[in-house]
Amino acid sequence: MEPLTTFEIIARMFYQFTSVWVALILLFAVSMAFKRRLGLYGKLYDSPIGMVGFGLVMFWVFTGIFGAMDLIVTQDALAQVSGMKNKVPGTPVSGAEEGQYGWYLLGGDNLARDVFSRMVKGAWIVVQIAPLATVFAFMVGITLGLPAGYYGGRLDTLLSFLSNLILAFPVILLFYLLVTPEIVATGVPSYMATVLFVFPIVFLAVLLNSRFYTQPKFRTPLLIGVLGVAIWLYLSLISNDGAIVATDTYWIPGIPGILDLFDIPGGVLVVFVSVVFVNSPTVFRIVRGLTLDIKTRDYVAAAQTRGEGPWYIMLWEILPNARGPLIVDFCLRIGYTTILLGTLGFFGLGLPPESPDWGSTINEGRKLLSVYLHPALPPALALLTMVLGLNLLADGLREESLKD
Amino acid sequence: MNKLAEYDGPILEIDKLSISFFTRLREIPAVMDFSVTVQPGEAVGLVGESGCGKSTVALGVMQDLGKNGRVVGGTIKFKGRDLAQMSPEELRDIRGNEIAMIYQEPMASLNPAMKIGKQLMEVPMIHEGVSKEEAYARALEVVTDVRLPDPERMLNSFPHQLSGGQQQRIVIAMALMSKPALLILDEPTTALDVTVEAAVVELVRDLGKKYGTSMLFISHNLGLVLETCDRLCVMYSGEAVERGSIKDVFDEMQHPYTQALFRSIPLPGADKNARPLVAIPGNFPLPHERPSGCNFGPRCDYFEEGRCDKQDIVMEAVPGNDRHHTRCLKYKEIDWNAPITLGEQKEKGEVGDVVLKMDNLKKYYEVAANALFGGGQTKVVKANETLSFEARESETLAIVGESGCGKSTFAKVLMGLETATDGQILLDNRNIESVPIEERDTKTVSEVQMVFQNPFDTLNPSMTVGRQIIRALEIFGIGNSEAERKKRMLELLDLVKLPRAFADRMPRQLSGGQKQRVGIARAFAGDARIVVADEPVSALDVSVQAAVTDLLMEIQREHKTTLLFISHDLSIVRYLSDRVMVMYLGHVVELGSTDQVFSPPYHPYTEALLSAVPIADTSIEKEHIVLEGDIPSAMNPPPGCPFQTRCRWKSEVSGGLCEKDVPSVKTLADGHQVKCHLSDEVLARMQPVIKIAAE
Repeated sequence: MEPLTTFEIIARMFYQFTSVWVALILLFAVSMAFKRRLGLYGKLYDSPIGMVGFGLVMFWVFTGIFGAMDLIVTQDALAQVSGMKNKVPGTPVSGAEEGQYGWYLLGGDNLARDVFSRMVKGAWIVVQIAPLATVFAFMVGITLGLPAGYYGGRLDTLLSFLSNLILAFPVILLFYLLVTPEIVATGVPSYMATVLFVFPIVFLAVLLNSRFYTQPKFRTPLLIGVLGVAIWLYLSLISNDGAIVATDTYWIPGIPGILDLFDIPGGVLVVFVSVVFVNSPTVFRIVRGLTLDIKTRDYVAAAQTRGEGPWYIMLWEILPNARGPLIVDFCLRIGYTTILLGTLGFFGLGLPPESPDWGSTINEGRKLLSVYLHPALPPALALLTMVLGLNLLADGLREESLKD
Repeated sequence: MNKLAEYDGPILEIDKLSISFFTRLREIPAVMDFSVTVQPGEAVGLVGESGCGKSTVALGVMQDLGKNGRVVGGTIKFKGRDLAQMSPEELRDIRGNEIAMIYQEPMASLNPAMKIGKQLMEVPMIHEGVSKEEAYARALEVVTDVRLPDPERMLNSFPHQLSGGQQQRIVIAMALMSKPALLILDEPTTALDVTVEAAVVELVRDLGKKYGTSMLFISHNLGLVLETCDRLCVMYSGEAVERGSIKDVFDEMQHPYTQALFRSIPLPGADKNARPLVAIPGNFPLPHERPSGCNFGPRCDYFEEGRCDKQDIVMEAVPGNDRHHTRCLKYKEIDWNAPITLGEQKEKGEVGDVVLKMDNLKKYYEVAANALFGGGQTKVVKANETLSFEARESETLAIVGESGCGKSTFAKVLMGLETATDGQILLDNRNIESVPIEERDTKTVSEVQMVFQNPFDTLNPSMTVGRQIIRALEIFGIGNSEAERKKRMLELLDLVKLPRAFADRMPRQLSGGQKQRVGIARAFAGDARIVVADEPVSALDVSVQAAVTDLLMEIQREHKTTLLFISHDLSIVRYLSDRVMVMYLGHVVELGSTDQVFSPPYHPYTEALLSAVPIADTSIEKEHIVLEGDIPSAMNPPPGCPFQTRCRWKSEVSGGLCEKDVPSVKTLADGHQVKCHLSDEVLARMQPVIKIAAE
């Protein structure tokens, strides 16, 4: 077979993304049609910047999802095909079998794997980890930031000091420490996971209890249901092979393997923990500042004078009214987390070496950058457009939330 | 000097001005067909409720409408030159030099990082290019003119080191630095306390005379306009509805809106039986939902279908008066002197037993001098000093005082958000002074409730109105099921006269008065017996104030509620309260029935407060008392009598007693207490502050 021309490569890639285009067009059409009824999300469609940002983000989200469903990828992202090492984009696959895609659309990397498919598969990793890690960071930051701002005093001083301590620590160094085999062996990341992932449960429990404690008949079943599921997920998350912490010398039993819903690979867990750990102090400070402002409002005083508990006031009176800046920060922070994941991958920390995530791929491509540009470029552009999209989205949201 | 050449025509001529703002949905006309003329040396008042476009006119004159606003018709001529034709350079030359503007928030108009002196000197240095020395001399002169103590120290301080009143004086000084031909004042005293406001207003008036400056005075307060201006222009929903000299408009009003406005404000000279408040029915129309024909039509008593809503109405000159215009088709037919038709007069509920008793209540705060490490010296702030009074069932007790007098602290202690330092609070003979709100039982909590000041802050913006009232019901343990509570919530909405459909609205969809009604409904959710109303109407427009005040009194009649009405507005206090308590720096300086407090003998502070209230009635004569200086800080109160630093009667007390001892409480008549050193004989000599002039 003939190598593809540039035009053909672009056309074929465009065709490969058909499912993404369809999904994007559907999403935009439906959202535009109902934009007046969709609140802040609907207003996004009044801002060109926000729309472009949202489009870029959703492009990668759909790519991630459909990629995971094997709709877009052309080749096995991990398979090495002999003779394809460092081949330029559009090279036909040597000895392609029946039913196999005939070309490496964006060429092959130095281990003869398909760059295009790896980029698509990498999107899935980013789309999975970055928002989830950010959600956890927000849960931790909110659960600590609200009381710090609301109560003030010693608690505030202590928590703010701790967060400053973490912020003052060089992030990369922290990551290096966390993934060092010796440290992993002592079980530190597992302990950190155990502590950090408790916060969402505490958050949920307090959120629901403070709201519904006046109606015990409704509250008790609700809490048992929600917390039961949450604790199960929590235990599944932190236990691996029936152990929460397994070191050479001792082991703390977790839930047995049959009940364990999913296992998180050790490397991913470490990445997750470190991202949450590093991001939560910043969220803490934002939430604390917003709380300090909002707690002086009359509706907070009104809640106090009718005898509401402090957690109700924090979670139902203050937090919903702090949502504007928090949503904007959430978008920006997913962007930072994406970069952070890229950085971690670039340094070869955390994720396994053959992982197709963008950071690792850029790092591998870097080694022969002066000779072969094509393996490093696609993941770099992917990372760039996704973060750019998130920043534009945040800008659009900020602009729209300030209006009216 | 690069001022415009000598010119003796009108300083400002606005002719058929229309200004619109353009949003992504539609064009919103903010000002329509607005004309006004300001002659040299004349002060013109621009009165109207919020949203009527008065500030937009001011911004239009400054040619500062932002990127959404545009002049869509008419002209603004300054000294005969059309401002719209000027280049940006010419405009820059005129702004701050020929036209100066004073805004509502003094702190926001001053650069916090620059010393006062430098900010003042900038004005002539930029506009006239004078030398530093000359600019300094001029700054010193102007600061002396605005009657600030120790001008040299003032010039050398930063804005945050001054009080609100002093800051506003600096802003005025800055406006006067270039000796402008026109001064625009946009609600210059709204952020200030009444006694400070009175002093600033007097200053503005005197300076206007001294410098011969023309003024455009924007305010929602008719009383203030009466005191400062020569002519006035009443605006409603983007249009001027009436304009003329103060005397013509106040005494011979020719527009139904002006009349309704006057009828909805209480006057401290008259009580509620002689001159009841009449609220304007309905709501202010939104700019894009204005009715056809007369904008005031739907709320007007004299509305005639098929005539008033037919065509746009133009300003017509009222014959006989000097430049008196009205925008009403029927002004010749309306009998302007017809007496107010009263609604049914409702009897006030009998005042019952004592419900709440305060005895020598004290609240001190300790403030650490060094916040970072604690320790060190602590300062004691005495927020409340020996507060004693009783409140009875279905009685309205007004608590009057300016900011920093301790009214809010007292409310906090009563509500249980703070505990008292000393003394006792008895609620039905139960001590609650040291029971914080977490330890109070639901009944006590629901019995003592509060209505807050700021309507835009009193409701949680992210919860529906119904949800918020239901939450209060949940907390107070009312109703056994969601359905019962929902029913009760709808009844509460009926109680405050809001349509039931409002239950599903978000607070941002409500107007200020409607929000305040929801706040009242929420306070009465648990059948409150004592309601602390913290300036519940001060942030509302006058026409809405009357309606909300009436609502409060009506609910009080039905529920036999004890109302503690915190306010600085003596007009409204006179209107609705049975007894009045005047506070100053944490002390109760006077306590008595409304009649006792509003007639001599007064406590000197009450006297000054009464004199400071702007009254929108030309037939009233006020004695003019201006308090010097500002309220001392509660951190560092003066020795002896708290009011001695500003008291004009101090010389009547011999032996410097005022500076040494806190006066003891003196009972004058039955239940009338005054905390003052003045002898009975001096007190007896006092003259009434407010007199209704003989016709």
